[in-house]
Amino acid sequence: MNASCSTTPSAAENDSTLRVIDASCRPPLVFLFCGAALWLVVAWAFALIAGLKFHSPNFLANCSWLTYGRVYPVSTNALLYGFAIPAGLGVGLWILARLGRTTVVQPWIIAFGAKLWHFGVFVGLVEILRGNSTGFEGLEIPKAGAILMFLGYMLIGIWSLLTLYVRTERTLSAPQWFIIAALFWFPWIFTTAHLLLTVFPVRGVTQSIIVWWFSGNLRFVWLALVGLGAIFYLTPLLMKRTLHSEYLALFTFWTIILFASWNGIPQGAPVPAWMPALSTVTTVLTLVTLLTFAVNIYRTCGNGCSTGQNPVEGKFIAFGSIAFVIAVLMSIVGLLRELNPLVSFTWFTVAQADLNVFGFFSMTMIGAILYITPRVTGFNWACSNKAKASFWLAAAGIVLYTVSLAAGGVMQGVKLNNPQIAFNEVSRASLMPLRMSTLGQLLILTASVLLLWNLVGVLVRIVKAQVNPVNANSVAAAEVKS
Amino acid sequence: MNYGPLIFLAAFIGLSASWFGFVLTPQIQLGRAQQATNTVNTAQLYPIARPGLAQEGLEVYKANGCFYCHSQQVGQTGTQVNFILTEIGTNPVAVAEGLLTAKVGLTNANAAGLSAGLPKTILRNVPIGDAKKAAKVTRDNGASGTVEVVAVGPDIARGWGIRRSVAADYLYDSTVMLGSQRVGPDLANVGARLPDANWHYRHLYVPRSVVKDSAMPAYSYLFKTRKIEGRPSPDALQLDEGFAPENGYEIVPTDEAKALVAYLLSLNSSTPLFEAPVTVATAPAAPAQTNSPAQ
Amino acid sequence: MSSPLNQPQSSPAEASQSQRRGPAVPIWLIVFLFLLLYWGALYFDANGGWFSPKIYAPYRDVEELTALQPGGGGNEFFELGKAVYNRPTCSACHQASGQGSPGQFPPLAGSEWVLEEQPGRIIRLVLYGMHGPVTVKGQQYNSSMVPWNVLSDEEVAAVITYVRQNKEWGNNASAVTPDQVKAIREKVGNRTQPFTADELMKIATNE
Repeated sequence: MNASCSTTPSAAENDSTLRVIDASCRPPLVFLFCGAALWLVVAWAFALIAGLKFHSPNFLANCSWLTYGRVYPVSTNALLYGFAIPAGLGVGLWILARLGRTTVVQPWIIAFGAKLWHFGVFVGLVEILRGNSTGFEGLEIPKAGAILMFLGYMLIGIWSLLTLYVRTERTLSAPQWFIIAALFWFPWIFTTAHLLLTVFPVRGVTQSIIVWWFSGNLRFVWLALVGLGAIFYLTPLLMKRTLHSEYLALFTFWTIILFASWNGIPQGAPVPAWMPALSTVTTVLTLVTLLTFAVNIYRTCGNGCSTGQNPVEGKFIAFGSIAFVIAVLMSIVGLLRELNPLVSFTWFTVAQADLNVFGFFSMTMIGAILYITPRVTGFNWACSNKAKASFWLAAAGIVLYTVSLAAGGVMQGVKLNNPQIAFNEVSRASLMPLRMSTLGQLLILTASVLLLWNLVGVLVRIVKAQVNPVNANSVAAAEVKS
Repeated sequence: MNYGPLIFLAAFIGLSASWFGFVLTPQIQLGRAQQATNTVNTAQLYPIARPGLAQEGLEVYKANGCFYCHSQQVGQTGTQVNFILTEIGTNPVAVAEGLLTAKVGLTNANAAGLSAGLPKTILRNVPIGDAKKAAKVTRDNGASGTVEVVAVGPDIARGWGIRRSVAADYLYDSTVMLGSQRVGPDLANVGARLPDANWHYRHLYVPRSVVKDSAMPAYSYLFKTRKIEGRPSPDALQLDEGFAPENGYEIVPTDEAKALVAYLLSLNSSTPLFEAPVTVATAPAAPAQTNSPAQ
Repeated sequence: MSSPLNQPQSSPAEASQSQRRGPAVPIWLIVFLFLLLYWGALYFDANGGWFSPKIYAPYRDVEELTALQPGGGGNEFFELGKAVYNRPTCSACHQASGQGSPGQFPPLAGSEWVLEEQPGRIIRLVLYGMHGPVTVKGQQYNSSMVPWNVLSDEEVAAVITYVRQNKEWGNNASAVTPDQVKAIREKVGNRTQPFTADELMKIATNE
């Protein structure tokens, strides 16, 4: 490892307390992150298969398991439930332990929860491929997988809250509010959605309302809470400063809780007008969330934002912050009266959703994983060229993907709104941007493979250290000191 | 300072507010009140639960994720009110004068012009009040006409439906798949728009055999290719040259394909409802089309 | 818990994070939030339908919807006729369904008396009543109908129009105007005796 490696823990952080805390996080975090990285690769591999079907509609069409309508939900679910949530839970647990200045309570129970969750996702994705999807967009994983995931979440969530409960630093700071609220949020929305949709299904269009409500709460509220919590914790650490204002952060927190929890019902939906109208108003109100967040982070960075000295995890997190701002702006702009007809039912909405889940949340989480893993495992790898390459690949990939889909979506919308243009013409016109977005998917897939490769490398070294402790420990110590 | 309980309270208040708003309230509003839904101006009950085969087809539609590319909701940007004169009666001059003095948006009306080519739309895109006034004036002068309410918007213009979709359209469905993308056309009304089952079979088997340059993948796994033994099956697909199997073989739909087509044909939301009023095309009450006994 | 954790010794970065909370929320942000809330209230008032389960975009309120209803709101004359029919005037004998009762009162649905091209006979029949044997749709009836000349010209015209144009019954004949009723009242004059079927058949339909 070279000496200029910026991820080396600073002297201030290197005290024994933090070393003990980080070490206690090792089992759950290794399980959560390795599984997440695997699902990230699966997600983009399936996204690529789905994307290739727009190059040739009959690509893998003869096999029912690989039809577009099954491959596509596998990719979105693997990204959201396979990567985003476990990665977020891992990062959240680490933040709770560090800011509470306590070791993790029963780390092996949390590690078991992580295994249960990942196994649930596996069961769910196989069920989708077999054609047993629930049919609700964003909640396709059927009961069998969902129960395992829920149990896994409860193990992780309860012991994370116990870790919070035994904290020695009693004062809660901004990142902790976000993580705590998120921990409560998920079980509530997940059980509500599953009870009312798969266990005792309600009838008619109220099903769709619940799906929109669930999706809005998961994709906006949960991801924003965890993602912004991580950004509020890591940005000051990376910049070696303090957060500009905790009051602004509190404002961000309240606006997410009160406003963002209402968004998600699209304007043209076949439901009484008050629901889309309310959703539109609350989504526009998240402009305040955006402003408070942007001002806070900008002030925290000061001049640091523009310097090229940012370590690679800082680059990931900066990218995530900017992507959050753009993703929220896209969702607001898409609701304007003049623009909504042009973007609804088009690829623009997909671009917005994926920019939120991947560009904002996943990029932030990858940055956090790169930052956390060396500290937790004692093996320093994050400044390897692989990490840098994965940043540039992922960033270029998501930019290409989002820009081509968003632009293609608007073009598609303009044509859709002109009934003079035959529908065939509309779908043909959107093929070009779709094919460009496939290239973006390929870049992101490569980046995910690099991340997985990195994590597997760490895993191998951990296993080796177990087998041959003396030798490996000295290597690890040497790495951390360098 | 320990804000732990405060944060829990914040999350609780925020989430329960949106839960009451978007989970409980829709249940109260739509979950119960809808069940007596029927149309306003006809005695016909709507909606009707899907027949068994179509319900099985819904499962096939769901399993293969058709809803990722096809939406099932028609939008509407506005409503247009027209007035159609159907009968001029015995005093066309009075009708023309009446319409002019009523100031319903008609600038030049004369008896000869109104009498020619009935029934015809004489007022287009007028306020509903004017159309009703015109109806009253024409009736008072011995003529008759109808007020026509039509939905407008790009979806309607594409022929995807005659009115916007509303909650009542999905009343009896379990697993409502509204869709969020229009990679393919909207299917809310496909049963009324494309009522030919054979067309659907051919389209599912090889989309490009019926829609040129279609981007839809072929769902050939919903069909079986089998050797003709004895007489060809009545279900066998009538495919065009270039898509047909080799001689001596035939393509027959599986049970899944049959259920899926039954489901597609059951998608029909062209009944007017109170919350989405439109005039359905009925035979205009022109003299030639009355059922009065011939004299 | 392990011993180093019992005495919290914060690293400089984290210690200052927990003590220094930073500047308060700038006032312009609060003003901006309230401006957005005000806009939101206006937007919801204009587009929200005030929580009505029957209002869908692009409609604004129930009044607008009611006015746009085809049939019901669109044709008051037909609705008046329906109201008169079910007062009950006609529906007492001929039933709300227009089917009459077999052997007693003849049906109106599909009746050749109702659907005649010119309404001269049916107007007389309603105004002055009818008695004696009559054949409707091939069935013999022998009862009597009371005169309805207490109704206004408009009411008589509306109720006959309702019967003649009732598509639910399968009827589809021309409308009757109040002027036609008025003309027949003047032509027949002050008659107290109900018509018989034979008498009516002698009158030309267009008189």
